[in-house]
Order: sequence, then structure tokens, then C-alpha cells
Amino acid sequence: MKMPVTLNINNTTWNLDIDANATLLEVLRNNVLNQQSVHRSCEEGECGACTVLMDGKPVNSCLVMAASAQGSTIITSEGLMRGDELHPLMKAFVDELGLQCGFCTPGMVMSAYALINQWEDEELSDMDIRKAIEGNLCRCTGYVNIVNSIRRAKQAKDAGNWW
Amino acid sequence: MKNFVGSRALPDLVYHCPENMNALMALFDTIQGEYKIVAGCTDFIPAVRGGRWSFNDGLSLIDIKKIDELNFIKETDGIVTIGAVTPLSTIMSSDIVQKHAPGLCHAMSTMASPQVRNVGTMGGNIAMSSPAGDTVPSLLALGASVIIKGKQEEKKVALDQFFTGPGKNIMASNEVLKAIEFPALKADESVHFQKIGTRDAVIISIVSAASFLKVENGVCKAARIALGSVAPTPIRVPKAEAFLKNKPATREVLAQCAELVAREISPITDLRASADYRRDLSETLSRRTLMACLDDLNP
Repeated sequence: MKMPVTLNINNTTWNLDIDANATLLEVLRNNVLNQQSVHRSCEEGECGACTVLMDGKPVNSCLVMAASAQGSTIITSEGLMRGDELHPLMKAFVDELGLQCGFCTPGMVMSAYALINQWEDEELSDMDIRKAIEGNLCRCTGYVNIVNSIRRAKQAKDAGNWW
Repeated sequence: MKNFVGSRALPDLVYHCPENMNALMALFDTIQGEYKIVAGCTDFIPAVRGGRWSFNDGLSLIDIKKIDELNFIKETDGIVTIGAVTPLSTIMSSDIVQKHAPGLCHAMSTMASPQVRNVGTMGGNIAMSSPAGDTVPSLLALGASVIIKGKQEEKKVALDQFFTGPGKNIMASNEVLKAIEFPALKADESVHFQKIGTRDAVIISIVSAASFLKVENGVCKAARIALGSVAPTPIRVPKAEAFLKNKPATREVLAQCAELVAREISPITDLRASADYRRDLSETLSRRTLMACLDDLNP
């Protein structure tokens, strides 16, 4: 069954005609929206590679029915870019070597973005960071460089270099 | 989209999204064919993808997530009530739940991952009726009840009467879980939850345990101990609970009680752990949670 949904994706509103059995992941990756940063992997919420922000909160897009996302605001890793310029959080991943193969990175970035955005003034401990990315699997880095990247990104935000 | 290697396609669906309880009840009258009530879908999708559930094309999906009457947290006269579709992350960070049942917030913080907690609901965790449901032991320890809404009436059932088997419960297909309620903890009461899995995040518990302890003047006045993943449903252990009644609240007595817990249950061996290991863990986790309650009450 086809059905209409309205989604705001990276600040653009889309009126889409979707399959009722499509997940948000499938809709984001289809030919129209082409959000290739949203990686399709385990499809059962284990790996976090498909993480996007839905109304400001990180969710596994593979576990959300697209129909139930009606009216929500979605941000993907593409949405953090300003033109060709990397987001300060992404730059921190590059600078700290927070990625190797890069498959988990877009999801990792979205979990980290949600963490840093909602974090107030207190110190961000390594344990806070690890709790925030507990739903994202990385099989290359051993997480140490990822945690370093996120800590560096927090410093960038504290220095006013953030959007 | 082409189906992914290793996972099954979702069946062709008819999607319904009632906006309030009246619309939902009206839908039960008119709906044709097979239907499934869902909220967060964080269990539904993996269950279908993994082949644990299969449905024919044309399945109607009733998404109750948008029903505002089911999405709330309140406390009145010492009773905390939580709507069935309230997301786990909302409950965890709610001031009311943190004040009146911190053990429940802790239990939720050990569940799945932040991404799943932002979508998954407590009602869903209960209605799935998995023996390993991680909200359930704490709720059993808190003495929770569920409110079930049917076409004609609304009924309140104690949570320990709710489950009938793995994935099974007493709800009829045209009934819906409306809310969960439990008494707020008083100053001389405490609840703690612990679980063991092969890692901390996104894991099905090998054993989980929650304990409730009420201590007056150094004497245990009431105790409730609940375990997950050791029986076809989450269970309480009445004999061990009765043992504690009016006994002095000391570490020795609590350790004896934990031994009784291990003797009272009959877990099975499956792919996650052996029966012997589960029995050992049940004793350990009961003891740790009981001692944690005691530490709360005797600072």
C-alpha cells in the first residue's frame, strides 16, 4: 500500500508517497532522497550505522516505520555539512583519526552530535561519551580514537566553533 | 528496495494511525483480517526481519504511538502512572520517576542503546511479554499493575498475573495496554535492578534481577524479588520473599535469602547460558540487589 508522508529532512520539506512497509532507512536511501550516509547494515538495531536524528534525538532509522515518522524533522550526516565544508565534529574525527574504514562513522557522528548538543557546561567524561555511543559498533578503531575525536569536538563547541 | 542479504522483507502492510482512544476502539470494530498493535516497532521490525514472527501480506499495523492519552507520566496520592507509549528515554529522565522509583530509571538505562530507548516504549516491553524483558523485574519488585483497556471496560491487573508464557499474556486481541502504575517508594523502601549479559549495551539478559526491600527499625517488613530469563515468564520468588518477612535486615540474612532464590527457580539451558550458570547468577544478582537496597536504607 502506498501512503503520503511529510518529512523535513535536513531543512527541506518533502511530500513523499511511500510504501507502508518501508522503514525510514529505506526511504532515506531511496532514489529521491539519496541520503547515502545512512548506512544499511544489521537492520535490527544492533550496529547503529543507520543512526539519524529524529526531532533532535538519535534513533536507528532501520527500526522506525517511515509512516510513523510523519511530520518529524530528520537530520542525517549530510545535513551537518555546510556546502563542501565539514562540520567541526567531522573535522575532529579526521584530525584524531577517529575512523578507519568509515562505515560506522556517519552513525557515530550523529550519536556524538546529539550528545554534544544536549550537553550543558559540565565536563564531558570519557564514560559519558562511551555511554552515548554504546549503540554504535565500530570494528576497526577500538573506540579510543573515536572517544578522543568526540572530546576534541566538545572543545571545538566550547570555543564557539560549532553549528 | 531490494531485500538485504540475511534479513527478511516486511510484509505488505496497511498502516493505521488512530489519533485517540475512541478512534482506536472504533478501528477494532471495522478492521478486517489480521492486525498487529505496535508503538515503537523496535521489537516488531527485528522479529519480522529475523524470522521469529511471520505475517501474510496485507497485515494491518495499528500504530498507537500518536495517541496522546497513552503518553504521560504522573504521580497522584503516592501512585505513579506511566502511559504505555511513553518512550523509555522520557521515563528515564523524568523527575517524577527518578524521585519515586530510581531503580526503574537505572533498569532502563541498562536497556538496549540510546537510539532504541528514544523510540521504544515501556508498554511495548511489557506487551511483548519476553521472559527477558528488562523493565519487568523492576516493575514486579515495585508491585506494579497494568491497566488494560477493552471495548467495554477498563481493568487493572497485577503485573505478576499478566504473563502466561513466552510472548504470551492475558490481553485479548481487541484490548490495548493503556498504562502501568505502581506505588511511589517511601523513605524506608528501596528497589534495585541488575542484569548480566555478554556485554552492557544492546544485549538480551542472561539473568536479570530486581529486589524491593522495606526495612523498619532494622527489621525487614516486606520484600519482593523478581527475576527475568529464568522461567517462561518474568517471575517472583514467593518462598524467598516470605523468608525475609520480619527477619533482621542484616547482610547474612539477605545472603541466606539469595540462596533460597537459587533453589526456588528452575531455569533452562539455552544458547545464551546453561541452567547451572543461570542459577548461580540468580543467587548473585538477588544478593547484590538486596544488599544495594539495604545500603540505601542504612546509609
